[in-house]
Amino acid sequence: MRYLRSTLWVGGALALALVLAPYLPYPFLFPFLACVMASAWFDGIGPGLFAVLLSSAVVDYFFIPPVHRFAISLPELPYMLSFVLFAVLAAWLSAARRSAEASLRQARDQLERRVEDRTSELRRTNEALRAAQAELAHATRVMTMGEIVVSIAHEVSQPLVGVLTNAGAGLRWLESDPQDVSEARAALQRILRDGNRARDVLAQLRALMRKAEPKKSLLDLHVAIAEVTTVVQGELAREELSVQLDLGARGHRVLADRVQLEQVVLNLILNAIEAMRGAVDRPRELRISTRDGEPAEVGVWVEDSGGGVAPEDRERIFEPFFTTKPEGLGMGLAISRRIAEAHGGRLTVTSAPGRGSRFELWLPVTRSAQEVCGPERVTPLG
Amino acid sequence: MSEPRGIVCVVDDDESVREAIASLVRSVRLDVRTFESAQEFLAAEPLDAPSCLVLDVRLPGSSGLDLQRDLRAAGATVPIIFLTGYGDVPMTVRAMRAGAIEFLIKPFRDQELLDAIQQGLERSRTERREQAELAELQRRFESLTPRERQVMAEVVAGLPNKKIAAGFGTSEATIKLQRGQVMQKMQAGSLAELVRLAARLGDWRAPE
Repeated sequence: MRYLRSTLWVGGALALALVLAPYLPYPFLFPFLACVMASAWFDGIGPGLFAVLLSSAVVDYFFIPPVHRFAISLPELPYMLSFVLFAVLAAWLSAARRSAEASLRQARDQLERRVEDRTSELRRTNEALRAAQAELAHATRVMTMGEIVVSIAHEVSQPLVGVLTNAGAGLRWLESDPQDVSEARAALQRILRDGNRARDVLAQLRALMRKAEPKKSLLDLHVAIAEVTTVVQGELAREELSVQLDLGARGHRVLADRVQLEQVVLNLILNAIEAMRGAVDRPRELRISTRDGEPAEVGVWVEDSGGGVAPEDRERIFEPFFTTKPEGLGMGLAISRRIAEAHGGRLTVTSAPGRGSRFELWLPVTRSAQEVCGPERVTPLG
Repeated sequence: MSEPRGIVCVVDDDESVREAIASLVRSVRLDVRTFESAQEFLAAEPLDAPSCLVLDVRLPGSSGLDLQRDLRAAGATVPIIFLTGYGDVPMTVRAMRAGAIEFLIKPFRDQELLDAIQQGLERSRTERREQAELAELQRRFESLTPRERQVMAEVVAGLPNKKIAAGFGTSEATIKLQRGQVMQKMQAGSLAELVRLAARLGDWRAPE
C-alpha cells in the first residue's frame, strides 16, 4: 500500500515534469525531489527509497539523454548520480524529520495523558483531604465533647436528682399517716417533667453530634425570615418590643435546609428577646436586617439593645452547654453555629456590654438557578 | 416541746432540684424554704429555729462555697449540706474543713440527704441550746456590779478573801458579802462551778 502510494507520487511528479518540460532545462529536478520527500514523509524511509529508485529510472528513461532508453551517456552520469544522491538524502532527511515529529507528538500525547492522570489523582487526593478535614473537624468536636463530659453529667444529673428525690418523696407521701395522694401525684408529675427534660438533653446532644448533611434547597432568605418573625409575633407583642425589619440585601437566594436555617434565625431572635427582658433603663429594640457581603455572601444581622455579652464570654457562648441563663441548656448557639458552618457560612457576635449585641449570620449566596444545577453545587466544607 | 422540729433551707438554681428536695423534706414533716441564689438566701429574714442549709456548690453569681465563707464570716453557724455535680476532692476538703455536715454528689440517695438533714438539725439544736446557755450566763454576768465583777475575777483567780480585801483596801467582811452576791447572781453552787462558768464566759468573750 505504502509502495503503491509511493509509485503514485512518482507518477504525479512525472506528469508535472512532462508538463514543465518545454519551459525548463531540467524539469524533473524539483517535482521528483518533492515526490521523494513526500513519499518519505508520509510513508517512511522504505517507500522513500523506493521512490528514489523509481524516480531515477523514470528520470533516466524520460529526461536523460539518450531519451526513452534506460542507458546513461557518460557526460550525464555525474548529473544522474548527484540526483540520486540528493534524492536519497532528501528521502532520509524527510523520513528522519517525520519520525522525530512523530515521536515528539507521541511524547506530547504521553505528557498530556500523564498530566491528566496526575490531575485526576490530585483531585482524588484533594477530595480525600477534604473528607479528612471534615473528619478532623468532627473529631475536634468530639474532643471538645470529651472535655464537656462534666457538663453533660451535670445536665443529665440535675433532672435525675429531680426524678430520684421526687420518687423518694412520693413514696413517703403514700406511706405517711395520713396518706397524702395529692402530694404523691405532684411528685409523680415532677418525675415526668424531669424525665422529659433529661430526654431533651439527650435529643439535643444527638442533634449536635449528628453527622448528617442538611437537606438543602434553593430558598429565599427573606421569606424564611418573614416566616420566623410571624412565629414570634406573639412573643414580641407580649414583650412590648419595637421591631425593625430591614431586609435590604439584593442577593438573598441561598442553598439551605429551610428548617435548620429558620431554627438559627428563630434562635437568634429569641436570644435577643431574652437579652432585653431585664432592660428597663433603655429603649428595647430588636433589629433584624440583611445585607450583601463580599464575595457572594448575604448577612443576617440580629441586633438587640440588651445587656450585651462580656468579652470573655464571646467565644464561650458558642460552646455546648455554656449558658448565662439560669434555665438555659446552653445548646442554642452551639447548634446554630454548627448549622451555619454546615451551610458554608459562619455565625459571629459583636457586643458592647450594656448597650447590646449583634449576631451576624453569613451565608454564601446563590445567584442563579444554573449555579445550583452546575458542577459547583457542592459547597466547600468549612 | 415548744421548739419547732426544724426548718430546712434549700439553695439551688435548678427548679427541679429545689422542688424535689422541698417535697422530700415536707414528706418527713419538716418545714422547708427554697431559694434560687445565695443573694436571695442572704436577703431573707434570719430564722429563729433549728435549721440547716442544703446548698448547691455551683450557683450563678456567688458559689455555694462563697456563701459558706460569707456566713461563717458573719458568725452564722447554720450547718451546711453541700450538693455537687462532681466529686472534686480539694473542694470537698475545703468545705468540710469549714464545717460542712456532708458533701453529697448528685445524684444522691434520698435517704442520704434526709440523714444529713437530721444530723444538721441535731447539730443546730445543740448549737442553739449552747447559745441559749451562754446568753443566760452572759445575762447573769451583766447583772453584776463593776465591783462584784472585779471580786469575781479575783475569786476565780484563786485569791482568798483576806488578800482580795487587802487589794481593794476594804474589809474582809465586805468582800465576803460581795462574794456571796456573785455566787447568787451567777447561780453557782460552789467555787468550782463558778470557775467553770467563768471559763465558758471567757471562751465566749475571747474573740472580741
